[in-house]
Amino acid sequence: MIELEVRNLSLAYGRNVVVKGLTFRVMPGEMVGLIGPNGSGKSTIIKAISRVISPSSGQIFIDGKDISQISRGDLARLLGVVPQMPLLPNAFTAFEIVLMGRNPHLGLLQYEGARDMSITWRAMERTATQSLAERRIDELSGGEIQRLVVARVLAQEPKSILLDEPTANLDISHQVEILDLIKNLCLENNLTVVVALHDLNIASQYCDRLILINNGRVHAQGTPREVINSRNIEEVYGAEGCVYVHPVDGLPVVLLKAGSSRHAKPRDAIEGGAV
Amino acid sequence: MPIHFPHWRRRAYAILGLLIAFGGVAAFAMTVGSVQIPFLTTCRVLLSQLPLVDITPTWLSTTETIILEIRLPRVILAGLVGAALAIAGATYQGLFRNPLADPYLIGVAQGAALGAVVGFLLPFDWHGMGVGVIPLLAFIGALVSVAIVYSLARVGKTLPMTTLILAGVALGALWGSIVSYLIITSGEKMHGIIFWLMGSFSLSEWSEVKVVLPYVVVGVVIILLYARSLNVMQLDEEQAQQLGIAVEKVKLILLAAATLITAAAVSFVGTIGFVGIITPHAVRLIWGPDHRFLLPLSVLSGAIFLILADLVARTALAPTEIPIGVITAICGAPFFLYLLRRKKRAVFF
Repeated sequence: MIELEVRNLSLAYGRNVVVKGLTFRVMPGEMVGLIGPNGSGKSTIIKAISRVISPSSGQIFIDGKDISQISRGDLARLLGVVPQMPLLPNAFTAFEIVLMGRNPHLGLLQYEGARDMSITWRAMERTATQSLAERRIDELSGGEIQRLVVARVLAQEPKSILLDEPTANLDISHQVEILDLIKNLCLENNLTVVVALHDLNIASQYCDRLILINNGRVHAQGTPREVINSRNIEEVYGAEGCVYVHPVDGLPVVLLKAGSSRHAKPRDAIEGGAV
Repeated sequence: MPIHFPHWRRRAYAILGLLIAFGGVAAFAMTVGSVQIPFLTTCRVLLSQLPLVDITPTWLSTTETIILEIRLPRVILAGLVGAALAIAGATYQGLFRNPLADPYLIGVAQGAALGAVVGFLLPFDWHGMGVGVIPLLAFIGALVSVAIVYSLARVGKTLPMTTLILAGVALGALWGSIVSYLIITSGEKMHGIIFWLMGSFSLSEWSEVKVVLPYVVVGVVIILLYARSLNVMQLDEEQAQQLGIAVEKVKLILLAAATLITAAAVSFVGTIGFVGIITPHAVRLIWGPDHRFLLPLSVLSGAIFLILADLVARTALAPTEIPIGVITAICGAPFFLYLLRRKKRAVFF
């Protein structure tokens, strides 16, 4: 169980400032969503928390310890990442890729033992990727690769999981399956989960809290009901009147409407009516 | 678990099989030459040198001298150089995730060639610690060349691999043109220089084996330690870091180890081509991409390949020796093309 804290974080690529003054905290057993338009800095934040890029200012703490003071190996035992559209080497088999999740648990001279094998196999079971085990990566679809990378993070057994658009390549049944799985892990094992999502409906359904980011700054922060409302969506996305209420659970849903963008001809736009 | 780990047993048997093949090929190579020595006699001479083995000599003392003082060091040196070039090639290909990478990619060979050519053109000769001036200058040239490439390619605390390749290719071309100019103006020394560039084991002695051996052994052990890291680094640098690999540190260690063994190998026998790029690919085609098997299997295959190539080089047109670089390509290319055709679904990375 670990607590994740981001304090006054600023990130930049060269002189191009991408994220400015970001502060938030994620508790064990909590699933927090990063939402915002394309290019708002969601992926960059995930990279910074996993120490792939270093902040231009501010700090990131895991259980009160600055991550820049933690070795890569130790960090990988605490924190696992599901990257967006991961590139995998074609010549390896699916099983070999998932097995790589055990890497941070093995010493320089150690080989994977029976325990690592069974953890890996169990991870593949939970992500429905067992049947792919002996297949080579170049034979797999985008969705299968996405599930494989989730399996790899399960095999890694971290205390905290960061996911960057984990459902981008999946059809709706697999979207629900993967997110249900992660939500369950989060609750059962008290994992700290941060997930970058562009799909506002998924964010609303699964996350305990949302952080709405616009141009690298926090625009709104709170429960889905507090964050996803017509005013915020209009301010950040420029889309008018598209927030409704889910008929079953009462959570906010966002429905798009043809003709609501700036490219629409005026006569199409007038019909939209919303809450 | 309904799955056994893919092909581990098969790969372990491959290592064992290649070890046996290596012993057989090495012993066979020592039987062939201007004096033919029966295979069994060769084996008995070799075994008699081992401690705790008591074999009464039934052979001529000249036979023993031929085997122990002439052929054995030559076979060992060929094996060491083949092993070094093959594992260095596999390491570079893995680090750069590029099937075209070979041990000479970042300027080792051209640097060594320049050093050697300068050594050839020096008006005096010099020996120290069992090393002549040519291998010494070749070794220094190789390391200085890679050091320059490395410092040119470094950006802050990181080493972008593409920049490293480009800097290596550019600097290598620069050294290459200087070498070409020196060759043209070298007069009667031209033949010796060209022969060195194509590689030869004709001057192999124990003293050279003693110098090359520690570099190759230490380098190979270091590289083998990082075999699993090299597997994870096949993902990409970002994912490798997120799986606990200190990517920049591992890159540096592997580059240094592969460069050192390559430099030590080429300094004594010249810039032998083809072994370093083709051996790892052949191993990959047959046994798959897992570096924990790819690397040791490359060591054994490279050693076997160069021992055989050297055997052909010294016997095919005896008493004239053919440069070994010619043999490695003539024999290796058709074999590799055959493998490539047979495995049509070949995927290297």
